[in-house]
Amino acid sequence: MAPSDSDILVSAKDLTKTYSVGKVEAQALRGVTLDIRQGDFMAIVGPSGSGKTTLLNLIGALDSVTSGELTVLGRDVTKLSRRQRAELRLRSLGFVFQAYNLVPVLTARENVEFVLELQGVGRERSARAIEVLAEVGLSEFADRRPLEMSGGQQQRVAVARAIASRPKLVLADEPTANLDGVNAETLLNVMQSLNEQHGITFVFSTHDPRVVSHARRVVTLVDGKVAKDEEKSAG
Amino acid sequence: MMGSVSTRYALRSLLRHPRRTLLSMLGVGIGCAMGIMATSWVGGGGEMQIRAASESGAGHLRVVPAGWVGTRDNSLRLADWEKAEAEVRALAGLRGFAPRARANGLLAMGNRTAGVEVAGVVPQAEQATNRLVRNSRILGRYLRTGDSGMAVIGAALAEKLDVELDDDLHVTLVGRDEMQSAMLTIVGILSTGSRDIDSAICHVTLEDLAAITGYEGPAEIAVMLEHHRLIDEARAVLAGRITGGNTVITWKEVNPEIAANVDGDKAFTRLLVGIIVIVVSLGITSAQLTGVLERRREFGILMALGMKDRHFMGLIALEAVLIGLGGAVVALLLGGPVAYLLATKGVDISSLMGGDFSFGGVLLDPVMYGEFGAWVVWYAFVVSMAATLVASLYPARFAARTDPADALRVG
Repeated sequence: MAPSDSDILVSAKDLTKTYSVGKVEAQALRGVTLDIRQGDFMAIVGPSGSGKTTLLNLIGALDSVTSGELTVLGRDVTKLSRRQRAELRLRSLGFVFQAYNLVPVLTARENVEFVLELQGVGRERSARAIEVLAEVGLSEFADRRPLEMSGGQQQRVAVARAIASRPKLVLADEPTANLDGVNAETLLNVMQSLNEQHGITFVFSTHDPRVVSHARRVVTLVDGKVAKDEEKSAG
Repeated sequence: MMGSVSTRYALRSLLRHPRRTLLSMLGVGIGCAMGIMATSWVGGGGEMQIRAASESGAGHLRVVPAGWVGTRDNSLRLADWEKAEAEVRALAGLRGFAPRARANGLLAMGNRTAGVEVAGVVPQAEQATNRLVRNSRILGRYLRTGDSGMAVIGAALAEKLDVELDDDLHVTLVGRDEMQSAMLTIVGILSTGSRDIDSAICHVTLEDLAAITGYEGPAEIAVMLEHHRLIDEARAVLAGRITGGNTVITWKEVNPEIAANVDGDKAFTRLLVGIIVIVVSLGITSAQLTGVLERRREFGILMALGMKDRHFMGLIALEAVLIGLGGAVVALLLGGPVAYLLATKGVDISSLMGGDFSFGGVLLDPVMYGEFGAWVVWYAFVVSMAATLVASLYPARFAARTDPADALRVG
């Protein structure tokens, strides 16, 4: 059955992105058309330079579109101001990056709390931070700073921070790239559980076959275009 | 305000590079301490000059006859001077006053002469308000109420005329109709410490001056206030009460060269402090900008999480405030004790003055004291905060304009 419009969180049509470095222009995306639906647990794969991170940055309203249409959570991001894009990211999107995700001088709890503070959450933000840290299995690490935690634990704190405001969509750029097998598996299980229990949509860019094996949908980019868009059957 | 996590973030960010932060605080603190010391020194010096000028005869305020300001004509007399004196007496914050008159003339002893401005004074008032009389060494005595035909002259003048106590001087003054002469007995010889001033002192009683010149009454009333900061207020009050065309002027109009000196010193100090603050601020800007560049990826991530321009501006400003607070403490620790010592012990500047403590006819103090008070605290905090906040504007704007995708890509 085709998804209804209300299920579509992201809609990209003929999306292009060109970077200019001096007189040299590099086309990172060459007409990407893609829908991301509510509840997707989706991996964007492809070789280096295929445009994975660029696509995530555009969906996350971190970068501007060169041409094409892009609607995120019902908003045409090509028409949003810098401030409106920041507001969209703050209220509705979550991000997890490859490494050095956390503010090193803040504890795990404070890293989560900081985003809640930016959102204007009042005194309850501390309790809320502990709650989401518990969801990723790190409540006992709440008062540790990033350097006192393993890479996997740091990434789980980043996930906790990303989901603290219960966004509909979390974008993760190679989240397992620096993790060993055990930590990568733990992180993926945490994200999968959040996806299944809370309906949070996750979109990853990745090279990692472990991530691909967890994804229910795999979009392959080659030379800035969607080469394949595969749905895995449940179970 | 961004709240408690932001504050902790700002504070701990500064602690990431404690040496840099400490050096920034020291830079602000030393700059601000220099400002405190310079302001204390120049403020104290200015106050000393104002006190010296006002106590050397000018008064903080002076009531003069109509037309005197433009002409400085010694033949002019106050209109209804008794009423003017009563108004002065009723002034709030009054420390004392001295009515006087002056006449240009010539002193002669044998074939030796000296041109001089003879002052007719009220002896008791003069002794109470005029440091040229009160603070000087005197050979013989000063004038007394009721003295007639007597004069007190300066030591340099006595030397020039080769006269001693009890000698009779021939004085010729410009009178109402023609030159008038009289004989005056020297009852006192004043040594103020300044040869320039000593060569220009010749006091007689106001009654004697009126008798010789034919001009009745005082030509001025020098008004001493409890503090020079009362000058503007007292002048306005007195000017509103004085009648008959008499005018109220300040010591600045009587001693314009001293006023220019005080204003010049203040302007130079402000310029100096301004330059120090600018240099210190540029140092802080550089240090903060380095901190922002080092955290570029971190800021990119925070921006990706939705941190807005104003949050970044607030964060950098908060860091600046914390540096400013540290700088203010350093400034108080360094500048406070020096300003206190300047104010309590003073600095003996007699060697710089070559033994003559006068400037523009004003007898200065040989020991100069600085200013000290609660202003030192607010000065330290206001200047430190202002310098660091201004210094943080560019780094804050730079941080706020971070392009998140670029910062995440390049790091």
